[in-house]
Amino acid sequence: MRDLWFTLPPAAQDLLAALLLLLPALVIAAALLRGFAPGAMIRDMGRRFLFANVAFVALIACAIAIGAGLLASERGLRAGTARAADPFDLIIAAPGSELTAMLAAVYLQPADMPLLSGETYARIAADPAVALAAPLAFGDSVGAAPVVGTTAGFAAHLSPELAEGRLFAAHDEAVVGALAGFAPGDEIAPAHGVGDAADAHAHAGHEFQVVGRMARTGSPWDRAVLVPVEAIWEVHGLANGHAPEAGDQLGPPFDAAYFPGTPAVLLRGEGLGATYQLLSRYGTEETMAFFPGAVLAQLQARLGDVRAAMSVMAVAAQVLVTLAVLLALAILVRLFARALALLRALGAPGRFVAAVVWSYAVGLVVLGTALGLALGLGSAAALSAVVTARTDILVRASLGWPEVHMAAGFVSLTAVLALLPAWAALRREIVPELRA
Amino acid sequence: MLAAAPTAARPAARAPEPGGAALSVRGLTVEAGGRRLVSLPALDLSPGATLAVTGPSGAGKSTLLFALAGLIPASGGRIDWGGEEITALRGAARADWRRRQLGIIFQDHQLFDEMSALDNAALGAAYAPRAERAALRDGAAHWLERLGLGDKLAQRALSLSGGERQRVSIARALAADPPILLADEPTASLDRASADRLIADLAGLAGTRTLVAVTHDAALVARLGRRLEIRDGAPAGGLADA
Repeated sequence: MRDLWFTLPPAAQDLLAALLLLLPALVIAAALLRGFAPGAMIRDMGRRFLFANVAFVALIACAIAIGAGLLASERGLRAGTARAADPFDLIIAAPGSELTAMLAAVYLQPADMPLLSGETYARIAADPAVALAAPLAFGDSVGAAPVVGTTAGFAAHLSPELAEGRLFAAHDEAVVGALAGFAPGDEIAPAHGVGDAADAHAHAGHEFQVVGRMARTGSPWDRAVLVPVEAIWEVHGLANGHAPEAGDQLGPPFDAAYFPGTPAVLLRGEGLGATYQLLSRYGTEETMAFFPGAVLAQLQARLGDVRAAMSVMAVAAQVLVTLAVLLALAILVRLFARALALLRALGAPGRFVAAVVWSYAVGLVVLGTALGLALGLGSAAALSAVVTARTDILVRASLGWPEVHMAAGFVSLTAVLALLPAWAALRREIVPELRA
Repeated sequence: MLAAAPTAARPAARAPEPGGAALSVRGLTVEAGGRRLVSLPALDLSPGATLAVTGPSGAGKSTLLFALAGLIPASGGRIDWGGEEITALRGAARADWRRRQLGIIFQDHQLFDEMSALDNAALGAAYAPRAERAALRDGAAHWLERLGLGDKLAQRALSLSGGERQRVSIARALAADPPILLADEPTASLDRASADRLIADLAGLAGTRTLVAVTHDAALVARLGRRLEIRDGAPAGGLADA
């Protein structure tokens, strides 16, 4: 059976899991409702105390929305961070923290990093397994947008199709990210440093003209301004990576003797096998090579412990909500005690009376759960928009199987618990309820 | 005035037919909290008889009626309806007996306000065996029409007048064509004109069903065949002609 399960496609497994979670509710429904037609009575109960019913549905919807929204947002954030790291096959930096290097290179977080020398860079760039080797230069900014020095080849790798314009081809040209807030034709004056500590006048006289705008990448590079790495070195008074006789050359090959150093080199191998070779080859005393995706996975695995703890708390909260729902159900059913006593007085079977109570309760729960999933999707979308705006990592929230499973489990749990008020309704004496 | 409810086989045939179930009560006692609420040594009614149960408030009339309906357990004695000892029935069997044999009219109608007059009158169709449902709805519609509510079948119970609501509850009691009809103060919540019309309706059932009605209404008592006065839970005198 276990083997059969693993041969199923993931979507089939998820669908079956959802059905299995719903199974208790479906079994109870079949057992209670078989041969009966309680629809008119349930509709009557729904309309008679409309406010109480609406409040009950809203309570459940909010509880489900919070759970589903958090699950969807968390998954969206994980997918977004992974998607942002996609274009970065391999990073080589000076030995140190892989996490720091990844945050700096992929997510453009300011960091102090040791530099790789010109000889090291030359050796990497000349490796036959390398298809693209792009040095990076950080540290400047324009407003909130980081200015990153790199090669036109890497800009083309990030955005194979530009949204508009062309790649930079001169020392004073720039290509901007999709959300950087600049358009071709704009003039940019970089400040030294980032944030509040940036010095707007340190690079006076060094302006860039925007000549192109990249398509959206879903990463913090969407807010970045990309300029030739040579220009960054030049505005800092360094050699520009090429011998003086090379004139205005831009991009590789770089001359090791005139290479000021780079905190990280972004690599693309000639294929998957070549990329693994590069990973192995440059894990040395002088260099550190890593897959950003692997580091991100490790980070997410560590955060997974926190996530598991949060999940336990979420389940505990869900149990509390379920108990509150049960209490509310008991109160709601008391509102209909007289109607239920009437049914019993007229000779309705106990199973029918239980079916009315159970269907009414579970109907409200199902309604609240469906509404909660819709609200959860909405709240996750709002939360994702906030995270995207704050981090520039494109987070897309969508309803997934985990939320469906959570909702199905909740419905089944409350369907089982709803048997309690149904059973209690049958235990009460008929005549006192009729006379109440 | 009123005819028997239709059957599934002959929905159009509604000629009055003799019917009802014989009632036999022997040594019935109902107690609660150590106090005797009802003590009825003997009571016999022939099929199709009508009986008014009268007496002051709190005398135990409704308790007796509910005991006859099997809704309150007897502490002692036995009740036989149509030769079936209902005091020996338990739980589901007793509920099934009520569903098949009994129609009950309550003082305050006891309707589902948001349901239509027809759905209320055909309430039993929701839990009756599938084969009986159509006949039940036919019966409900028939009685609503005979009681003057033919143009209000689809109207919500909430929007009906007190008299109309009571007639819906009568239609509900008669929809399944039960041989026994029990009524608890059926005219108490009605104005005089509505009460008189209802009394005429109930009197018209004489001979077709065994009817026991708890009432303070002298006009209703006068239209029923026999009268039993209850005081302090016990008969004050014997069974009298009304």
